[in-house]
Amino acid sequence: MTGRGTNCSDEDLLAWILGDLDAEAAEAMTEDLAASPGLRERAAEYRMLHRSAKGLRDGPVIRWRRFDSPFGAMRVAASAAGLVALSWQDESDDAFVAGLERRYPSTPVVRDTDRLAPAEAQLAEYFGRRRPRFDLFVDLTELGDFQRAVLDAASGLEFGETVTYTEIARRIGRPKASRAVGNALGRNPIPIIVPCHRVVRTDGTLGGYTGGLRYKRTLLDIEGRTDLLGSHAQTEIPLA
Amino acid sequence: MDDWSERYGGELERHVAAMLGNAEEARDVVQELWVTALRARPEAGDAVNVRAWLYRVATRRALDRISMRRRRSELLAARSGEVEPGAPPAADAALNRLSEAAAARVRKGVAELPRRQRDAVWLRWIEELDYAAIARRMGSSPEAARANVYQGMKKLRRDLAGVWREEGPI
Repeated sequence: MTGRGTNCSDEDLLAWILGDLDAEAAEAMTEDLAASPGLRERAAEYRMLHRSAKGLRDGPVIRWRRFDSPFGAMRVAASAAGLVALSWQDESDDAFVAGLERRYPSTPVVRDTDRLAPAEAQLAEYFGRRRPRFDLFVDLTELGDFQRAVLDAASGLEFGETVTYTEIARRIGRPKASRAVGNALGRNPIPIIVPCHRVVRTDGTLGGYTGGLRYKRTLLDIEGRTDLLGSHAQTEIPLA
Repeated sequence: MDDWSERYGGELERHVAAMLGNAEEARDVVQELWVTALRARPEAGDAVNVRAWLYRVATRRALDRISMRRRRSELLAARSGEVEPGAPPAADAALNRLSEAAAARVRKGVAELPRRQRDAVWLRWIEELDYAAIARRMGSSPEAARANVYQGMKKLRRDLAGVWREEGPI
């Protein structure tokens, strides 16, 4: 194996640096490195890259995770500060990740290892009617002031409690802005966890819900508000 | 430990000197190595073959010296005219750490890798998962995960070639 010198492939070099080679191949590579200045230069660059990459772990990063739910494939994402996205509307991992990349340019959007496991577990408990309250941080910092105020107000609603769009508008000190409140809730990046489904219309109807009203109906059913579901008391989404 | 330095010290120094082209620097590297080896030994799972392990660690140290040296000469070239000959000793510590601007470039480089390469590079290099664990998370095979890591690193090296050079004065 020795004597490959500068012809040695980057794959071999990387394998050596990452510790992927077996003992014999690693030893051969060590000898190659001693023999070839060109190879050493390349290896030194990869080492530098490897070392600088380690520092990324403590900086800004968005982690995401996919799991099954009664609503279909569900994806969640979080910054170091808390959840930034929850979606079951995206058709693919690519579509979900592309949305995050647009929101967080220059920040790596990567697969979660296990930091988001609690979010998955708590959502499963919620759907199983075993969890009335989420114990998760959310990170709304990159949203506009108005939308953040609306979502903060919605976050204060308890399991099974509902208020009107007008009431949220009043609570954030913008009593005439109930239509804008509806829009801000409609763009809620973390539905369910930020319970925008607990906001309904003054006339007793449910209002809207991104992706379809049947989701809102199901969530309110989970929370025991069958009184709001009118003649469609049967939920449309099986929760088993 | 003393035993190791007596048995392998000479040949390790020759090996490192061949890489660095400098016997004195090689002695430094090998001296440092005994300190590192002393600390790392309990977790060195592959320490069955002590000699191979020492060579690997010494080679990595030598490579780090080479990249430090290169950065220093590039920095000095960039500042030539303002600086007297001879590297300022304070530069060494700073050379070991990337400036914030360079770290941001590396972060951006990782962020802009194709999704699967980025995931694989992150999980292997930063989270230090093995290929089987990475494959499970990515829904692929270990071979595909490994190929993604290598492709991503090669692309990063190409994309970031200018970063070390453009590092401004410390």
